[in-house]
Amino acid sequence: MSVTAIRLDRLGKRYGRLPALRDVSLDVPVGDVFGFLGLNGAGKTTTIRILLDLVRPTTGRATVFDRDCQTQGLAVRAQLGYLPGEPGFYGDMAGEATLDLLGRLSAHRIDPAWRRTLLDRLEFAASDLRRPVREYSTGMKRKLGIVQAFQADAPLLVLDEPTEGLDPLMQEAFYELLGEVRRRGRTVFMSSHVVPEVERVCDRLALLREGRLALISTIEELRSLAGRRVRASFAADVDPPAAWPPDCEVISVAPRLWDMRVRGSIASFVSLVAARPLADLDVQTPRLEDVLRKYYAAQS
Amino acid sequence: MMRTTAVLAMQSLRRLRAVIVGIGLILAAFQFLLTQVAVFLQRSQAFGMLSSLVPEFIRSLAGPGMLAFMSFTGVVSLGYFHPIVLAALLGLTISIATEPAAEVETRFVDLTLARPVARTQLIARTVIVLVVSGAFVLGMMAAGTWTGLACCTPSNAPRPSPAIVRSLALNLAGVAWCWGGIALAIAVSARRRAVAGGWSGLAALAAYLVDYLGRVWDPARGVSRLSPFHYFEPMSVITGGRLSGTNVATLLAIGLVGAIASAIIFSRRDL
Repeated sequence: MSVTAIRLDRLGKRYGRLPALRDVSLDVPVGDVFGFLGLNGAGKTTTIRILLDLVRPTTGRATVFDRDCQTQGLAVRAQLGYLPGEPGFYGDMAGEATLDLLGRLSAHRIDPAWRRTLLDRLEFAASDLRRPVREYSTGMKRKLGIVQAFQADAPLLVLDEPTEGLDPLMQEAFYELLGEVRRRGRTVFMSSHVVPEVERVCDRLALLREGRLALISTIEELRSLAGRRVRASFAADVDPPAAWPPDCEVISVAPRLWDMRVRGSIASFVSLVAARPLADLDVQTPRLEDVLRKYYAAQS
Repeated sequence: MMRTTAVLAMQSLRRLRAVIVGIGLILAAFQFLLTQVAVFLQRSQAFGMLSSLVPEFIRSLAGPGMLAFMSFTGVVSLGYFHPIVLAALLGLTISIATEPAAEVETRFVDLTLARPVARTQLIARTVIVLVVSGAFVLGMMAAGTWTGLACCTPSNAPRPSPAIVRSLALNLAGVAWCWGGIALAIAVSARRRAVAGGWSGLAALAAYLVDYLGRVWDPARGVSRLSPFHYFEPMSVITGGRLSGTNVATLLAIGLVGAIASAIIFSRRDL
């Protein structure tokens, strides 16, 4: 089996004169939980719809497990589970009938025990399943969407804004579910606005800006890129060194307080301050949100 | 592939069953009642009186079909070409044919096509539902006619032959199928069911009026060939003529071209 679950190769899409996606290339390794970030209109949903062959690319190609999403669409879609941003269920159908129908259309046989597990995790009562979908709240529709996407236990899950409309408890249940499918070796490609969510559940992320790929990185790389904020306070006045260690960026220096940003290892900075009358050392792990803000800001 | 199409077709039929059965029952009841109206007129010997009441200029304008209509067979067969029945059947046909547009509008299509389902299977599903529902409704109409004739008609009444009823039903089926194909072709290009249904209904109304004009006004006769209703000739069947194979084939061909065009358009468009 391929080690690449998804490959986008110079993918482009125009709607009339409006470019939605420009020259996007990226690889999603098998087994990764991959976050796909971007502001509204950045091209996330267009990319996902190209993977599903709902939209045809203007340039480039997309492959899933080495199969072309357009020319081998049926084989591709036999390998994935999809949660749309706005799942469009028939209001007059009961939740259970909807799951049964979508299950019968799947390439894989639905394991009733796995479906039951999903329903239990998301606290979906049997009585709710028998009600027509039009009586469901937004959160319940989202939960139904999650179950229909996960129930076939497909090797690849494509999730568009999966936690939109879920309450915090259900978000937590969803993250646990994501952890479980990751342990089962499934690949997850999820778009999101919510950076802390991506930071928590994803191994890697890509950020789209105005249809272009602005960033692709592992979460760890991104954190190290941002650097940690390190504050050293001293018991007495100290002089700054003649030269700062590499990867140290000075934010402010006072006689008893050094405020720095350190990229990579902080070992050299620690030895520097340890030679002085150190009173306290505060190391702040950078938030991904702060790192990504500058990428977002460029678009907004 | 076949199993998936069957699953989709069964699902659509399940969702539409109330409407299809409802229209079938109403039209069957209408057919039954028409046989009773014909029996009443026959018993009161009113057919001759009715035709003598029609002014000469109207008779010449309407042609021999007018007299044929004022007969036992004409009244019994009225349901197979009455504009209201035609409108009900075409309304049902259009509502079924616009299902792909409804699925694009509600985004249910995202869920079905995210699975190994080809777009042409959605079109095949709609074609199956059109054929099954059309056959059911026409079958119900024929059953209504047969029940009325079998149970409550005097033996000396000049009943229409089964061949006439079959020909009329086949002609009506041809028109329904033709408009099913046209509406499907419109629907697969649209993003909203109301828009697709509206345009299909407008096209049917315009075509009906063009055909009507062609029948009553000689200069418009040529143009009326463009209307599918031009190939719908129930009166010739009632007056004893044979159902034109060319006309039926034309209607079926228009529907088929519509269905094939739908599959091509739907396969190529962005959803």
